[in-house]
Amino acid sequence: MKRSSILILVLSMVFVLSLTVGAFAQVNNPTTFTKVNMGTIDSLDPHYQYDNASSEIYANIYENLIMFDDGDVTQYEPMLATKVPTLDNGLVKDNQTTYVFPIREGVKFHEGGTLTPEDVKYSFMRGLIHDRNGGPWWMLYGPLFDAGGLSDITVDVVGVEDPSQLTPEQSREVFEVLDSAIEVEGNNVIFHLPKPNPTFMSVVVHDNGLGAIMDKEWSIEQGLWDGSPETIAEYYDPDKEEIPIHEKTNGTGPFMLNTWEKGKRIALDRFNDYWREPAQLERVIINYIDEWSTRKLMLQRGDADVAYMDKQYQSQVENLEGVELVTGLPNLYTGYGLMNWSIATKGNPDVHSGELDGKGIPSDFFNDIHVRKAFNYSMNYEAFINDVMAGDGKQARGPIPEPFLGWSEDSAVYTMDLAKAEEEFKKAFDGELWDKGFEITILYNTGNSMRKTATDMLKFNIESINSKFKINTRGIQWSSYLDRMIQGKFTLGFIGWGADYADPHNFTVPFMRSDGTFGNFKGENYKTWAIDNGIDELVNSGVETTDREERLEIYKEIQHVAYEYATDLYLYQPTAHILKREWVKGWYYDPILHDGIYYYPIYKSAE
Amino acid sequence: MISYIVRRILILPIILIGVTLLVFSMIMMLGPYQRLSTYITDPSQLKSVDVDVLVARHGLNDPWYQQYGRWISGVARGDLGWSESAGDPVAEAFLSRFPATAELGLFALLPVVLGGIILGVFASVHHNDFWDHVSRVLAIIGWSVPTFVFGLVMLMIFYGHLGWFPPSRLDSWAADIVNSSGFINYTNFFVLDGLLNGNLAIVGNAIRHLIAPVITISILWWAFIMRITRSSMLEILRKDYIRTARAKGVTENIVVYKHAVRNALIPVVTVAGRMVLGLLGGLVIVETIFNIEGLGQFMAHAAQQLDYPAVLGGTLYFGFLLILINLCVDVSYAVIDPRIRLE
Amino acid sequence: MEWQEVALRLFKNKISLVGLILVISFGLIAIFAPWIAPPADPSEPYMVPRAGWGFEPKPPSAEHIFGTAEGQYDIFYGIIWGTRTAFRIGFIIVGVSTLIGILIGTLAGYYGGWFDEIVMRITDIFMAIPFLIAAIVLTTILGQGLRNVMIALITFGWMNTARLMRSQVLSVKEEEFVIAADALGAGDVRIIFKHVILNTIFPLVIEASMRMGSMVITASTLSFLGIGAPEGYADWGQMISFARNWILGGQGNAIRYWFTVVIPGTAITLFCLSWNLIGDAFRDILDPKLQ
Repeated sequence: MKRSSILILVLSMVFVLSLTVGAFAQVNNPTTFTKVNMGTIDSLDPHYQYDNASSEIYANIYENLIMFDDGDVTQYEPMLATKVPTLDNGLVKDNQTTYVFPIREGVKFHEGGTLTPEDVKYSFMRGLIHDRNGGPWWMLYGPLFDAGGLSDITVDVVGVEDPSQLTPEQSREVFEVLDSAIEVEGNNVIFHLPKPNPTFMSVVVHDNGLGAIMDKEWSIEQGLWDGSPETIAEYYDPDKEEIPIHEKTNGTGPFMLNTWEKGKRIALDRFNDYWREPAQLERVIINYIDEWSTRKLMLQRGDADVAYMDKQYQSQVENLEGVELVTGLPNLYTGYGLMNWSIATKGNPDVHSGELDGKGIPSDFFNDIHVRKAFNYSMNYEAFINDVMAGDGKQARGPIPEPFLGWSEDSAVYTMDLAKAEEEFKKAFDGELWDKGFEITILYNTGNSMRKTATDMLKFNIESINSKFKINTRGIQWSSYLDRMIQGKFTLGFIGWGADYADPHNFTVPFMRSDGTFGNFKGENYKTWAIDNGIDELVNSGVETTDREERLEIYKEIQHVAYEYATDLYLYQPTAHILKREWVKGWYYDPILHDGIYYYPIYKSAE
Repeated sequence: MISYIVRRILILPIILIGVTLLVFSMIMMLGPYQRLSTYITDPSQLKSVDVDVLVARHGLNDPWYQQYGRWISGVARGDLGWSESAGDPVAEAFLSRFPATAELGLFALLPVVLGGIILGVFASVHHNDFWDHVSRVLAIIGWSVPTFVFGLVMLMIFYGHLGWFPPSRLDSWAADIVNSSGFINYTNFFVLDGLLNGNLAIVGNAIRHLIAPVITISILWWAFIMRITRSSMLEILRKDYIRTARAKGVTENIVVYKHAVRNALIPVVTVAGRMVLGLLGGLVIVETIFNIEGLGQFMAHAAQQLDYPAVLGGTLYFGFLLILINLCVDVSYAVIDPRIRLE
Repeated sequence: MEWQEVALRLFKNKISLVGLILVISFGLIAIFAPWIAPPADPSEPYMVPRAGWGFEPKPPSAEHIFGTAEGQYDIFYGIIWGTRTAFRIGFIIVGVSTLIGILIGTLAGYYGGWFDEIVMRITDIFMAIPFLIAAIVLTTILGQGLRNVMIALITFGWMNTARLMRSQVLSVKEEEFVIAADALGAGDVRIIFKHVILNTIFPLVIEASMRMGSMVITASTLSFLGIGAPEGYADWGQMISFARNWILGGQGNAIRYWFTVVIPGTAITLFCLSWNLIGDAFRDILDPKLQ
């Protein structure tokens, strides 16, 4: 061949080869982020949703008045407000019952509107009126109205229990009350609290959907609350599927909705008119894939940048090329064994004979403090943390998790001590229990191996103390588990609570107060005990002052009460983790968003 | 024959009502709080909920005939109700998942049936031969090793290591195109839609994602079809008329393929019918592992969540299909063996 | 054909011999389970003991010769006692559902007419219920436990046998010897019993033997969906579904947890294989044309 043709041939080969170099880029899809997650999104309405999967979406599409400083739950930064109200800058005043938020100007909504203080007020009002059953609004009703929900206010003001029954007249009266709590003055939105409440700020901060700010005009157009004082009844507690913004969004956040294929996939696009620098990622895609192995493979291939992983499989992901597991992150979660102090015995196979006759347990089995203490001494905390949780986590010291006020690593906790357990069992029911023995069935929710293991541990230890003690463990479907909880038929159940907002009050209420979420399931005996022993008052006192030192003492006291009276079996506080490709950068952990990721600061780079 | 078919079709609605009543009554054996679990799927949702309000709102405490009546009058109006587990109306939930399952089933049908029959004939002809034994053992392994093992191993090798056959139905870039306004979704069968839209890249990508799950399904079903074919072939090969044909000097091949195979197909038809049903009902395990959002996975979730509108909707769908297929099977019996009279 | 001759033929056929040996070995294991793998808690021998509380499966060692599955369940124990479970599941479900199916199918096929129509439509109704959905709902109602799983599988497992039986009966009804017997005046019941059932039972025996194996597989599918036997029960299907999240191995070694899959998988496969071989052997032996 002629020399020149050889030259041309070689040059073109080099040229072609150079094109393929790009094909072996070190980072897959540098501007698109793919996450593979489990579960499914409940709703895109930020005021409705109350689950992890949905809150991740809300957090990237909508914004609140204030936000955390890069995931630090003790530091606030301004977001849609221009300043964080504090005592120092005078925006918190009147003995901490007034909070003034100056509103940022020039902020655009995805659908074209501009942010005004009216939008802020409308968003809160709409949410307060919406107050759906099982939703998050009780968190705001507490500090803002010292009530549990809209129905408390309607009962107070017009004597009507069900807000959807309000006449336009009554609605107007109720509206007055709501309206007076939030005021628009010039460029500020001002909140008026009935009394000082330390949780207010942590409830409205970004990460909490109820503080999401929406566009008033657009919302009204879509069919949400029309802004009139007379229509509360129409817009109260709607059915999820009837909410106009169940599938539509319009926020001010760094990302906007592209498509949502229910149960399968959601895609977000970068919002280029964002009020801060636009995000570095152009696209965020979240796929919902239930099978762990499939998610893991996608992460290994680089087709996914982050994969949701159950802690149990941690051992599988060490030493995977290109993948890193960041763990040991603070998880605001307490896992514990809930004890029912008044077990419903009728038609309940788990109490067996239902009597203290050695062949079952009586209804007030856990009402006896010695029984509770004995159970507490029979749990193998060390093995649970070291073996079951592979060392990733710590024993829970009470209802309040680290690092909240009231938690201390020196506080008194139970350790496994079968000798002490025996002592306590001998004292139980004036010695009758030891002589007669008992038989109890403890249920666990099928599919939850951690909880089954905790139950197995109790069985293993307690049965070794006295041959007349019999513990059966049984797995049941979630539907049956729920049924038993509601009917008060369960005996002891392992359950957990993750933080809604960053304040110990969010833990003391559900665990300790007689009308708390779990307190409700602990039976009449507990309710009576809590009220008689001032537990309810103690819990409430924690938010009746904003003085940090005072609160510290109160919460320490609560933590101690839980120990002293062995109200339940506090077991573990896990750590959080994220499993990602090494090229994912800019990520920081937000304990309230938990598994969810805030995509704004993230970028992908091989360095 | 015609009157037989017509009669069977006319009875169809009665049977469907019977089936849905049966399933509904099973679900109604659970208490209202148990059925409440459709709406409360996690303890964390108990936080501020008033369970009795929820029970009343969804009518969970109403007498069973009222609840069933509500459902069936809805169906009569064409409204199958709302599926809580899917977050969509039942009809929409089904329609959006049907193509995934059907596409998988259709692509699997031919290789499975043909392959199974060929293997079965092969084994029967080599009866008690080395090849017979080998193919039978392999078939048993294919059928007894749980599907998820094959599925995950396939994924691991062909996706994890080689990157050839990824999970899901499409790659992300392809999904974007399909969801965009420029692409018309005629059927949601991506291979077909790709062709209709003239987008060969989509066609190629869809096929690429189908290969691994189809093979996994095939391994399972080959064994089944092969075994039935083989045993039925063996039976036929001994029959009198075969011996007669051989005695008459008809070549072995024709004996086998013309006479024997045709008659051996009766049980195969039954099995194939069952198989089509299974394929159209979706294979939960394959769909879960390869992340194909199809009917199998959906119905399993719905059942676990006691999402009764979805469960009943699924029962209607499945029941309808099954009766249709059973009818076809019964008719083909008569066609293949004229001695069978359909009364 | 006399049963002694059947047995003799079974032994002579090499393939069936292999199947027979396998089944007998499994049977011996099942019978001697309490001695081979003594239970930790004699009142609950089917609950597999846990060797610890950790999650990660541990490979075979001197103490646990087959290793431990997810949650430290001893695989050896699970396999040994799982043999009993496999036989129980197989015999009870296949036995009862086959009996029901034979009864219903024969009666429907023989009497025909309206009776046949109604019975077959009822069969249609039962068949029309998607099996998985029915199993899930039924388990929720009845609660977990092997007994309830068996009830669910029996309730929805007789229909195919009934249809098969009926189609066989329809074919045979036309055969000359039945018409002849009828003409000779032999009573209804005698005709049914003697000729029809005895002559059509062979495909059923074959089908039943296949189902012995398939029941174990169905039970394992149910375990996979979380509605099979309770966690920790000695059942092969359960043991292998424990392997689900460990099949891919870990830390770059794909076959790190091979024992969680291979060992229970081998047990299941061998069990199915053995019943299959026996079933095929039965077919070879009982085929009337070979007499």
